[in-house]
Amino acid sequence: MPRITTNETYGCPPIRALTFDSLGLIKVIEARGKERSTPTVVNTWGEMNASRCVLASSMNDRLKNPLLAVARKDGKVEVLNPCNGDLHLSYSVFGDDVSPPEDDGVSGLHLFRKQKDDQAERSCTLLTCTKKGDVSIRSVKFPDAHDDSTEDVAPTTWKACSSGEVLVGKVDGTENFGLFGGRRVEVSIWDLEQCTKTWSAKCPPKDNLGIFTPTWFTCAAFLNNDDHRKFVTGTKSHQVRLYDASAQRRPVLTFDFHETAITAISEDPDGHTIYVGNASADLACFDIRTGKRLGSFLGKCSGSIRSVVRHPEHQVIASCGLDRYLRVYDVKTRQLISAVFLKQHLTGLVLDSGFSGEEIAVANTVVEAATEETIIEQKYYEEEDEEETEKEAPVKTKKSKKVKRSREKVSEGEEEEETEKEAPVKTKKSKKEKRSREKVSEGEEEDELRSKKTREHKKKKTKKVKHNQED
Amino acid sequence: MGFKRKRGDGEGEEMDGEDRGRPNFNGGEKRNVILPSMIKNKDKRSKVYAKQKHEKKLEKQKKIKARDAAEKRALELGEEPPQKMIPKTIENTRESDETVCRPDDEELFADIDADEFNPVLRREIIPKILITTCRFNSTRGPALISELISVIPNSHYKKRGTYDLKKKRGTYDLKKIVEYATKKDFTSLIVVHTNRREPNALLIIGLPNGPTAHFKLSNLVLRKDIKNHGNPTSHEPELVLNNFTTRLGNRVGRFFQSLFPQEPNFRGRRVVTFHNQRDFIFFRHHRYIFEEKKQSSTKGKDGAPIERVKARLQECGPRFTLKLVTLQHGTFDTKGGEFEWVHKPEMDTSRRRFFL
Repeated sequence: MPRITTNETYGCPPIRALTFDSLGLIKVIEARGKERSTPTVVNTWGEMNASRCVLASSMNDRLKNPLLAVARKDGKVEVLNPCNGDLHLSYSVFGDDVSPPEDDGVSGLHLFRKQKDDQAERSCTLLTCTKKGDVSIRSVKFPDAHDDSTEDVAPTTWKACSSGEVLVGKVDGTENFGLFGGRRVEVSIWDLEQCTKTWSAKCPPKDNLGIFTPTWFTCAAFLNNDDHRKFVTGTKSHQVRLYDASAQRRPVLTFDFHETAITAISEDPDGHTIYVGNASADLACFDIRTGKRLGSFLGKCSGSIRSVVRHPEHQVIASCGLDRYLRVYDVKTRQLISAVFLKQHLTGLVLDSGFSGEEIAVANTVVEAATEETIIEQKYYEEEDEEETEKEAPVKTKKSKKVKRSREKVSEGEEEEETEKEAPVKTKKSKKEKRSREKVSEGEEEDELRSKKTREHKKKKTKKVKHNQED
Repeated sequence: MGFKRKRGDGEGEEMDGEDRGRPNFNGGEKRNVILPSMIKNKDKRSKVYAKQKHEKKLEKQKKIKARDAAEKRALELGEEPPQKMIPKTIENTRESDETVCRPDDEELFADIDADEFNPVLRREIIPKILITTCRFNSTRGPALISELISVIPNSHYKKRGTYDLKKKRGTYDLKKIVEYATKKDFTSLIVVHTNRREPNALLIIGLPNGPTAHFKLSNLVLRKDIKNHGNPTSHEPELVLNNFTTRLGNRVGRFFQSLFPQEPNFRGRRVVTFHNQRDFIFFRHHRYIFEEKKQSSTKGKDGAPIERVKARLQECGPRFTLKLVTLQHGTFDTKGGEFEWVHKPEMDTSRRRFFL
């Protein structure tokens, strides 16, 4: 009989990933449900056009009004809503009328999380860096129908390098410092407020044969969220280097990883584990304190890894690359949890940390519909109030459909909770409370959501343990 | 061994077997079955085994007879004959693969339209191929190259030139050659690697920015070693690409397609075949002819002999097998390049899993 190997699915925790590909499509992959589910493509945004290939992406996944920025091959930077794909605004890095130069492109993009002024709702601050080394920080306002004041703040620009090609542009957790490096460009740290270089690396000495390896940084990651001085870089010459800006200009620790270029590096929240992916599809995690490999992620991955992302809450990492698959691995067991075929060469990946597969999804969709669609929302609420006991609400708009779906999920969740001997009445009540609060004030609501989220997370953890015991 | 004797022995054994509650080969209770391999005495074992085999054979014959009879009866009664069984092969029990291309997939076509081979396949550029060798080559290598030149139209051979003219030493780097070929508007570069005077690898590089495929080459038979071989003409050949089903296979197939001109000259009646079976790509080169054979024995209604058109094939080498080792994004750069596909041992989970 044919021996058929099935992909053993260990079940994916509720995650929501957005992948970007060479045709400029943004695909939303969601794993819903509480414990074990398989991620599926939920949505695809954008039209297929090779010149709109996504080069860099950054996401601000706050609970209220999340934003997603993508930089495309034709020099356009677009700010989207990661919940429904609505385009907030788009501008060209090279100027609106100038066609993008052949050899230039955006290599780094960062969407600032901290707000500079109160008008946070309808604006955002973006850092872009091009291959030629032009770095610019600009605050942009979303074009608004009601508001016609379109005064544009002139962007702060500077050059990060005189020659070479900048391939890495990163901003640290505090968002005060930026890191740039690339081909024939040594890594340097810049103060983003004053636009000055505060530190730059020194190339490592020649080896014992007197051979000098050319500088070629391909990726970097800050080890810690609030420490901009410690970071890890990957080079084209298959080296992973740890720099400590407070200690010395040369790398503190250097080790090799296989034979091909390092293409992706990602840090773990614990501060000492890093995930390294390379051009021949190897993915491994290292302890950066010792430089020892903790283990490899074997997942039948066959194409160069372009991006590795660690989920901030769940114990999973996601990777994507030229083999057209999005793969999700468990961090602890290093097992492949699931793989989704996405048809195109994938260039980037972001994870939505605000997604929990159920209640938070409601919150997200509610919040995202900030101003314009309050009417619809209100209508929806009215309907909902009427049909509290019934399961289906006759909803017309797409968005509210989404809400509905998530609501169904919620009800399912409630059922489950019932089985776990939790008072269902209580949760319902709290939900109602939440809703009423949403109407009243948004700040409070956010806090509420946060606490709720953490609570929920804890619950989930305990549940997982239970499940394991059952197993 | 005589047939009769075996039979007699078998019968004796059967008696024994029944007495002791020993092997019961005709099915029956499964618990009592003792495999012949469990009998320690070789003589007995071989007897039991022979009997088992014989019974199996008889059963099979019976089955076939019954089947044939059923078919015959069905034909006589004018019914539909029972369906023929399809044998299980590795190909048709292949593991399901979600990467298999579907004709209704819009994204696939958009991706294909954006890939590197598109200008050639849309006939905007006429393919121009540069063939070169590895650093040292001899005997079968050049022979293969000369035959490849006769197969692929508009292909040119260049020696791996010496870079130090004074010392006559060393050859150009492949990266330099890629640069040179790009400058001279070649669309593809083929490098034939030989090991111990035997071609063992084929490197196909798309130019100027197109993927690099590394194939293992085996079972090479040159033209002169093929019996009754034909000699190809210089017409543009037709191309047959078989079984390139997955997304990767599709890409590799298009790569092969981009080596040949897109307008075949049907007068030449030349066919080049890339047949993929279980991830091995078989290369064949044929000439075909349609012959109208007058058959004197069977005559049509009006008495004239029926003209039956018959296709004949004549192979005109070379003949070889390719196996994809790596597919690389961009031109040749093993150290720094990114791989679109590399084979890894962990991917061989089943012999029914194929990638092309």
